[in-house]
Amino acid sequence: MEANLPITSLDSLNPLLAAGGIAAPEIPGFGWLTNSIFVAAVVTTCVVLFTRMATKRMELIPSGKQNFVEFIIEFLYGQVEGIVGKHVAPKAFPLLATVFIFILTANWFGLIPGVGTIGFGEEKVAFLSLKEVTHPILRPATADLNMTLALAVVFMVVWAWLSISELGLWGTIVHIFGPKGGLQGFLKYALMPIFIFVGIIEVVSIVFRPMSLSLRLLGNIFAGETLLVTMGGLGELLGASGFVAWILSVVFPLPFYFMEILVGALQATVFTLLCGVYIKLSTTHDDEDHH
Amino acid sequence: MGGILETFGLAWPKFISQVVIVLIVYLILSKYAFGPILAMLEARRQRIADGEENLKKIESELEKAEEKVQGMLDEANSDAERLITEARESAEAVRSQKTQEAVKEAQGIIEKAREASKLEHEKAMNELKNDFGRLVIDATSKVTGKVLDDADQKRINDETAGQVAL
Repeated sequence: MEANLPITSLDSLNPLLAAGGIAAPEIPGFGWLTNSIFVAAVVTTCVVLFTRMATKRMELIPSGKQNFVEFIIEFLYGQVEGIVGKHVAPKAFPLLATVFIFILTANWFGLIPGVGTIGFGEEKVAFLSLKEVTHPILRPATADLNMTLALAVVFMVVWAWLSISELGLWGTIVHIFGPKGGLQGFLKYALMPIFIFVGIIEVVSIVFRPMSLSLRLLGNIFAGETLLVTMGGLGELLGASGFVAWILSVVFPLPFYFMEILVGALQATVFTLLCGVYIKLSTTHDDEDHH
Repeated sequence: MGGILETFGLAWPKFISQVVIVLIVYLILSKYAFGPILAMLEARRQRIADGEENLKKIESELEKAEEKVQGMLDEANSDAERLITEARESAEAVRSQKTQEAVKEAQGIIEKAREASKLEHEKAMNELKNDFGRLVIDATSKVTGKVLDDADQKRINDETAGQVAL
């Protein structure tokens, strides 16, 4: 009897999955427009409006919003400069800062109550209450592979442009396939097949970067959403009902909300950090390595 | 492959929409946030650097001014000491001259007083002699009961004056 409990529990939890599955559902009546695209647009509007308000009347002695935005940007610029170097930082910073700010805002936006739980469904259980929300209106923008892949692809395009503008097309090819470690003479030619083989592996890893970046972010954020919903339904799973179930649906997810705040910041940092490292690896001249 | 794409909900329109959204954020933030803010941070950094440079310049000028003031003070002290010494010497010379003049004047006064006293003394002696002669004439005239003429009076007077040695 008890051995069947997890299966029963999972079945009962299914209707509570906030995101409605790994694929972002479309909003009924809006064609291909998914709730994730809608939230991405909302997040974009929020970020753009806030930064515009902060930078509209800039003063030499900052205050309020300008002070806050300046603090964030100065901090990020220092971090980016530390990773990619002073020379590449001015070119790489806008993309890396955009990626960080957008992912962080989108991740935290997903923690606002109502995201994933307000929407359309079939079976009404009470006034303004559904047994299952099959088409939530709001879904964390980063809990959709289309968005995380878009971020990764845009990054890869800018990364390719940065690498070629720094090293040139031939320089980039040599950087990937050429001999490393300043080898000269016979040894350089003897080891050439190995370096070419390493270059092929490098190309494969580059090709898979967009997938690894996007799936890591998607997996973490979607898992977080699922965790919060599961914790929200844990009370009912344990047999509680009525007011007690409602209290437990608030108490159980609470610690995980704090964890998700941390995870949201961490995933934004990881994504940006990896992008920075990729830029650093591909824009470093071989002669700089020797120094 | 198609199944995987469907499972994850990947579709061109959705993907392109998300790419457009990311590009919009990227372009707008680059133009309206990062550009102006980085420019502002650079302007502030430049201002601070200029301030530091000005501070160093001001400190250097202050040091020079202090050295100049010290030089002027030393010169003024030297001039003052010289003037005091000169004034002291001049005062000493004036004092000496005045003292000599006072001594000379006092000696003149004493000399004049001595001469005046001598003259007074001589005058008094002459008057005394005259009075004494007159007294002798009167006494002689009364003792002898005779009226002395001018010649007698003159002779008696001369004798008396000759005998009285004062």
